[in-house]
Amino acid sequence: MAPSQDPLFAGLGQAIRVGTDLLAALIVGGFLGWLIDTYVFDSAPWAMVIGLFLGLGAGIRNAYRTAQRWKT
Amino acid sequence: MDNPLHPFELHPLVPLSLFGLDISINKAVLVMWIVVALVLILFIRARSSGSLIPTKLQSLAEMLVDFIRGIIEDTMGKDGMRYFPLISALFLFILFCNLVGLIPGSYTVTSQLVVTGVFAVSVYALSVIIGFSVHGAKFLGVLVPPGTPGWLIPLMIPIELISQLARPISLAVRLFANMTAGHVILGVLFGLTIAGGVLIGWLPFAFTVALYALELGIAFIQAYIFTVLTCVYMGDAIHPH
Repeated sequence: MAPSQDPLFAGLGQAIRVGTDLLAALIVGGFLGWLIDTYVFDSAPWAMVIGLFLGLGAGIRNAYRTAQRWKT
Repeated sequence: MDNPLHPFELHPLVPLSLFGLDISINKAVLVMWIVVALVLILFIRARSSGSLIPTKLQSLAEMLVDFIRGIIEDTMGKDGMRYFPLISALFLFILFCNLVGLIPGSYTVTSQLVVTGVFAVSVYALSVIIGFSVHGAKFLGVLVPPGTPGWLIPLMIPIELISQLARPISLAVRLFANMTAGHVILGVLFGLTIAGGVLIGWLPFAFTVALYALELGIAFIQAYIFTVLTCVYMGDAIHPH
């Protein structure tokens, strides 16, 4: 068995992945919203709020997509 | 006690500048060269023995190559082997950077956000380029997952856009944060050992030893995750959905 198929090892890798995936999408969403607030529309803080919610959705979507790849 | 972030500071050893750009050689650059030399020496030595019954070094090299091939075939399929040189170079460089960084007095190159960021952004940019060159404008279809009802499309496009943009960031931050945090914890615990003296210092020292073993595992797992995600993103670009 190749070590990349070792269930413990692969499981640990996937666990570390999901956490950062959730967080990174939230940060990107909030940052994009903040950019729109500051440089495009002067609509603070609404674009950032919407961006954070979209980022939350994207993070959950990312985690969901990662989970779909898991082989049972 | 020393500031635990002190080991991450970089000072130029050989000040150099090229057209106003600061290209001074510092400890991180030096360690990167050492890492490249180590990987080269390992594989040249392993190759030169080339016997049917592998030597220790040769079996180590064969194990690493087999491991990388396993990752590529699991995530990208057989046609992913085209990218084997890139993926293996990335994996070996990150793995050896993480491991060399654990030697006391050395420097962890991957604890610099610049290094991990450049890797993550270029890997992600490459996957986008591959996607557009294989599928043309149809590659924009990754922004709409299959089976999305029409009324959800205006919501799904920004969400997918954010989740795409989050990829290089999570890739860079994961490696950087894990390496930095591990070394800060080791630094703090070892500082406590010295501050504690003989009477109580053995307790933080025991933790230092235990965490050092954990960090060895983390060094390997982080290199593995970075490589797997590189393969996943490239695989997504070759076969979207």
